[in-house]
Amino acid sequence: MKRIIPREEYCIGCRLCEIHCIVQHSCSKDIIKAFKKERRQVKRIEVEEEGHVSFALQCRHCDEAPCVTACLSGAMRRDAETGAVTSDPERCVGCWTCILVCPFGAVRRDEAERKVVGKCDFCPDLEVPACVANCPNEALVLVEE
Amino acid sequence: MQRYDYAIVGNSAAAVNAVESIRERDGDGSIGLFGEEKHRCYSRPLISYLVAGEIGTKGMYYRPSNWYRKMSVEFRPGERVTSISAARKTVTTGSGEKAKWGKMLLATGFTPFTPPIDGLEEVEYITFVSWDDARRMLSLTAKPVRALVVGAGLIGMKAAEALRARGAAVTVVEKLDRVLPLALDARASGLVAERCQAAQIDILTGTGVSRLSGRGGHKGAAVLEDGAELDFDLLVMAVGVRPRTELAEAADLPCEGGIRVDEHQRTPGRDIYAAGDAVSAMDVVLGKPSINALWPVAALQGKYAGMNMAGEEAPYPGCNSMNAVEFFGLPVLSAGIVNPPEDGYQVIMRQDEGGYRKVVLRGDVLVGMLVAGRIERAGILTSLIQERANVRRVKNSLLDEGFGHIHLPRAVRKARIEYAAAGLEAPGAGKGRGG
Repeated sequence: MKRIIPREEYCIGCRLCEIHCIVQHSCSKDIIKAFKKERRQVKRIEVEEEGHVSFALQCRHCDEAPCVTACLSGAMRRDAETGAVTSDPERCVGCWTCILVCPFGAVRRDEAERKVVGKCDFCPDLEVPACVANCPNEALVLVEE
Repeated sequence: MQRYDYAIVGNSAAAVNAVESIRERDGDGSIGLFGEEKHRCYSRPLISYLVAGEIGTKGMYYRPSNWYRKMSVEFRPGERVTSISAARKTVTTGSGEKAKWGKMLLATGFTPFTPPIDGLEEVEYITFVSWDDARRMLSLTAKPVRALVVGAGLIGMKAAEALRARGAAVTVVEKLDRVLPLALDARASGLVAERCQAAQIDILTGTGVSRLSGRGGHKGAAVLEDGAELDFDLLVMAVGVRPRTELAEAADLPCEGGIRVDEHQRTPGRDIYAAGDAVSAMDVVLGKPSINALWPVAALQGKYAGMNMAGEEAPYPGCNSMNAVEFFGLPVLSAGIVNPPEDGYQVIMRQDEGGYRKVVLRGDVLVGMLVAGRIERAGILTSLIQERANVRRVKNSLLDEGFGHIHLPRAVRKARIEYAAAGLEAPGAGKGRGG
């Protein structure tokens, strides 16, 4: 089971993780197009910052995921192979129950699509998720449990 | 006589989650599942989305079509269980068939409650709680109609919104002084009512229906308590719901205010468990058992019932009254106590262009929250409510847009982020407390 662990002692709050998350989930996967040409994707990672302390947080893919149990439509499921908790956009109706129960505040509305939630999916096309790969300080580390 | 290691009475959120829990732990035990309706398990709260045309038939199903087979469940659709025997460990169905069981789950859900109104028997009405209700509503609204909805709770308001989407002229009548009086506070009710009125739904509060008269089929007329008269082509009765306890009662199980269970979702009947909307289980905010007839709560209870039925000692962590709703583009989330009594509670509110946010505290403990409009990250507040966290040191940040784990003590946030999600206890950390 993969997990991404934030290390706040190395995070400088540069928010490159947020930027690369948006690029990776864009149509073109091109940084200029992703921000200037296409519909801006929802960031699936959030840097929390106060004074000198900062860290990046995305879905924890909880073992006992409250969002999976609470989901009204059955869209939020755990992938049996990867262990990742992901939402099926075809089945999500946008009731926002997952947002109500996520203890990490890690699920966001895709307001352009209105009916779909966005959250970390471990970047299924990449070996190492974009936020981890592009952190200049190793303030996000990928661990296998 | 057929015999099941596990008999499941019910086919909705609690039943499905119980089956999945059982199968994770017991791959071989036989499971029989009795569903009163003919449908495969569907998501009851989605019937308003179906009527509004936001989803199709396929979107209604809670699990894929091969789910019963994959779970090796003998699914018995359209078979209503009419009695259970705790002593002989049997169920009897409407057709008189009997089956024996080793352990049983009562996941019997709720039933709509309709008050006696003069003339109600003259009119065909819809209670809007089932897929069949949604189908009837769809066929009745094939051309524009005048609809009257009695009751402005969640079911009534969702029916009103769906009817409006079908082009109906909609009037909602509510006895109390505002819409969604239980789920929301007065201000959020006002915000929802504004959206509904902007969408041309007529809302009449502080009045009830005193008399009905039928004009054939679903057509009729209503006289309100204030004397007003309304003609309608379609009537929705959405006054309230009641736990379905008749099977449990007939088996002499205690059912005051819902089927009573212990922390393992066990009734006092031997090997009889219960979960879902019919059950009174621990509400961590109220500190006592209560019925929270909500889909996510039913799912969670079912999950824990299944674990315990399969032999694991898994105490139900308890839940609270939680709601996520959206009306005409306005999302509203709430958890815990949103309408506190006057004494002993502190309420902090904020309203700006981003929306409306409110938290309710009892001493230094967060016991309620409500957010409308900007709902992102509200789940952090829900989790602090659920954990009964002391929030003394972060009280004034709770409603800030940037409120998050950064405001919690370092040890607490590390425990949550690095360990809790993985189901581990942080080394040297106490119970997760927010202050």
